[in-house]
Amino acid sequence: MSQPPHPDYEVVIGLEVHCQLRTQSKLFSPAPVTYGDEPNHSTHPVCLALPGVLPVLNGRAVELAIRAALATHCKVHPHSVFARKNYFYPDLPKGYQISQYEDPIATGGWIDIGVEEDGELVTRRIGLTRIHMEEDAGKSIHAAAVAGSDSTHIDLNRAGVPLLEIVSEPDLRSPAEAGAYLRTLRQLLRYIEVSDADMEKGNFRCDANLSLRPHGTTELGTRTELKNLNSFRFVEAALEAEIERQADLLDEGGRVRQATLAYDANTHRTRELRIKEDAQDYRYFPDPDLIPLQLSDAQIERERGALPELAGPKRKRFQESFGLSEYDARLLTESRALADFFEAAAQAHGQFKTVANWVLRDVLQALGEQELEIERAAITPESLAALIRLVDVGRTTARSARSLVPELVERGGDPEVLVRERGLEVVSDTGLLESTVDEVLAAFPDNVEKYRAGEQKLVNFLIGQVMKRTQGKADPVTVREILARKLAESS
Amino acid sequence: MTAPLPTLQEARRALDSDETSSLELVSNSLDRAASIGSRLNLFLGTRDEAAMTAAEASDARRAAGEVRSPLDGIPVAIKDNMVQAGEPTTCASRILEGFISPYTSTVVERLEAAGAVIIGRTNMDEFAMGSSTEHSISGPAHNPWNPERSTGGSSGGSAGAVSARIVPGALGSDTGGSVRQPASFSGVVGLKPTYGRVSRWGLVAYASSLDQIGVFARSAADAAWLLEAISGHDPLDSTSLPEPAPHCSEALDGDVSGLVIGLPREYFVEEGVDPRVLARVREAVGELERAGAKVRDVSLPHTDSAIATYYLIATAEASSNLARFDGVRYGRRAQGTEDLTDMYQRTRSEGFGTEVKRRILLGTYVLSAGYYDAYYRKAQRVRTLLRRDFEEAFQGCDVIATPTAPEVAFGIGSKTSDPLRMYLSDVYTVSANLAGIPGISIPCGFVEGLPVGLQLLGPPLDEPALLRVADAYQRRTDHHSQCPAEFA
Repeated sequence: MSQPPHPDYEVVIGLEVHCQLRTQSKLFSPAPVTYGDEPNHSTHPVCLALPGVLPVLNGRAVELAIRAALATHCKVHPHSVFARKNYFYPDLPKGYQISQYEDPIATGGWIDIGVEEDGELVTRRIGLTRIHMEEDAGKSIHAAAVAGSDSTHIDLNRAGVPLLEIVSEPDLRSPAEAGAYLRTLRQLLRYIEVSDADMEKGNFRCDANLSLRPHGTTELGTRTELKNLNSFRFVEAALEAEIERQADLLDEGGRVRQATLAYDANTHRTRELRIKEDAQDYRYFPDPDLIPLQLSDAQIERERGALPELAGPKRKRFQESFGLSEYDARLLTESRALADFFEAAAQAHGQFKTVANWVLRDVLQALGEQELEIERAAITPESLAALIRLVDVGRTTARSARSLVPELVERGGDPEVLVRERGLEVVSDTGLLESTVDEVLAAFPDNVEKYRAGEQKLVNFLIGQVMKRTQGKADPVTVREILARKLAESS
Repeated sequence: MTAPLPTLQEARRALDSDETSSLELVSNSLDRAASIGSRLNLFLGTRDEAAMTAAEASDARRAAGEVRSPLDGIPVAIKDNMVQAGEPTTCASRILEGFISPYTSTVVERLEAAGAVIIGRTNMDEFAMGSSTEHSISGPAHNPWNPERSTGGSSGGSAGAVSARIVPGALGSDTGGSVRQPASFSGVVGLKPTYGRVSRWGLVAYASSLDQIGVFARSAADAAWLLEAISGHDPLDSTSLPEPAPHCSEALDGDVSGLVIGLPREYFVEEGVDPRVLARVREAVGELERAGAKVRDVSLPHTDSAIATYYLIATAEASSNLARFDGVRYGRRAQGTEDLTDMYQRTRSEGFGTEVKRRILLGTYVLSAGYYDAYYRKAQRVRTLLRRDFEEAFQGCDVIATPTAPEVAFGIGSKTSDPLRMYLSDVYTVSANLAGIPGISIPCGFVEGLPVGLQLLGPPLDEPALLRVADAYQRRTDHHSQCPAEFA
């Protein structure tokens, strides 16, 4: 076993993830789902809760929810119910949020996560309690954020945006596991195209429940809830801080209070926002404006059929069929778009391992430098395959070809044309190479002398000089032959 | 005073034979709304200019041979809880002061598509909560038969406007009897369709699972026309039924021979009801028997629980439905408030009337943690039992006949201090809302010069049966043709 996160206590963590479903319109209204639009422009009478409006469920959101449930091995329920969660807040226009409560769309699934133990990657299975659909609230913008204003401003663009809440069992045993769970879940949601799961845009948010118990005991301790953890690093740091706070309390013989906490990254401390006794009574009841959601087997099976190959199976296939290492396969399957790009390029080229190297080394590097995702890059799988083929047939050198990758990533283009236009074709004019070799031999008589005296490795220096004079365009194999012959001749 | 408005059928005939024009009908209607309507406090607002423009357009269509429907050119009124783009909607509440809707309700859209001319918005109990149209920011509506009496409620303005011949037809909403009971009090026909028959899109919600838009008219035949115009599936309302609008008019052949009328024994007990009202209802059933209908006793055993069940479910839903009136986005906001809580409290304390506050508090309590199971969940179970009562009863009969209300129009102010007594006005009507079935109230005689209503209830979607029976009765009687002398 690797070192436990706390020597005296076992850490018990459960996570609630809210992710935004990838739909064109909101969960109960035709208003568009946008990001960064003018405040209150992506709205509709329904999201403004005007008198007399009624919700109509977005069928696409339901399909995506089913898909997420199937991909996480949940049971999809043929009957689920939307309820009203009643509370007053200015950015909650109806005075209630429509959310599934007693009867969610799915329950009881799991996802496998990889965690490092003693330097090895082991798989842990994390249970899912439930998945349900709900609508987002709007946004309150307080005084300071708006110049010359001492009031609160409300932006309802986000009000009614469809969310999926995914609740895990308290199966996570360390902040690192929590991080791995979130990364795996995010990758999965992206793979199945259910959510962009972009934390920065707030469409992948996390609340965490945490409790401690003495090692070896089974009874759960009193848990606290950490709200609005908006980055992976933040989640892990907040959990670390809360473990420390709870452990200190317990060490001093104190008791943990059931409470909601916030994490302050500056002080690396958690602090209580409100305790359970102050918890609101949300007066949940089934929304009478919506009929229960009934799903047929056919509908569920249709979504099952639409599920793509997921990261795990894809990784295994890459390892088994293409002979890639687990590490490389993991990198290539990190996103579905990257895996698809690799596979298409490999199909077009034929040599899977060669293409894998190009993708992992050159394409990923260029993407990193340009801060691009593969789906937004201009390079196509066909163009990468064509570029590698130019190296294969000796039209250009690997070095020249690699120098073209950043440009292909940024602007795209035909590798053959680029190689020609940039003068990157291999110099196979032996006449030119012969004279360049002669120049080099003449320029470095000392090295030639030493070579002949037995310092054989100096040949590489001489090859390098030839390459330099040909701007790397010379075919190194040919250069080596000519050099060897000339060095032998004149001795 | 301008001439009383004809019935829808008469108006259609007069328009088709060029004896009148839409402009004439609408201008008469507006005149009467301004004079009689004001005196009886039946309207919360009229749209004179827009209505006249619409009437001119209708006349142009008629001249061009492009009449859209039997309602084309005919003035109608709507209860002030159905929105129309560019028009105020107040629900007779201070909290909606200044609100102008940017969108239009499905019923208004359908009425306008049929060519009907909406002349104005009628008085009502605030947010449709009440049985007398007294809980209105504008004060009580007065009954055309006796201005000291209530029109009934909550759609009292619409009932009164039809009764006083201001419009041939009007829309109301019925959550626990709010169309049928004022129809009974005002001596007109009031039809509450099957739940889901008429779209609620644009109807300001009181209790979503019970609310249903209904129609007021002077005859069953007129009510059929209005129903046909406004009903049918609407994708904007998830609770809207898939069925298209019913062809009711075809069912009105005056033939009720062999039809079985059930009399629920629980509704004919002498307790809590004016015996003279029961007598009128029995006479009406006798008239239908003479026309060939058969009569038998049926039982609706859970009737006793209906009022309690209704007030638990309706208030629970209302407490949530009315949360949006918070002063943040539209309507009235209390000024000079200190903080958020203060803004909510003062906005809602100042904006809502007593009865609305009472129901919001009741409903909030009903849904509270620890009480939900005992009240809301149990009420839903009883609701299922009530629905089954009707299913079983309709195994043995085609329609059910009952009084609409236990009494004739009561005096304005006589019940406002005793909410429980007021709630009992709905004793015969709430079950239809809880069961989601259609019901109609038709005039069936008088007690001390005030109209009595006969209620007919039918199985889901069988509005045609209700209208057929109502029409057959009206072919044999003239109670529905009676008009308060002053307005004839």
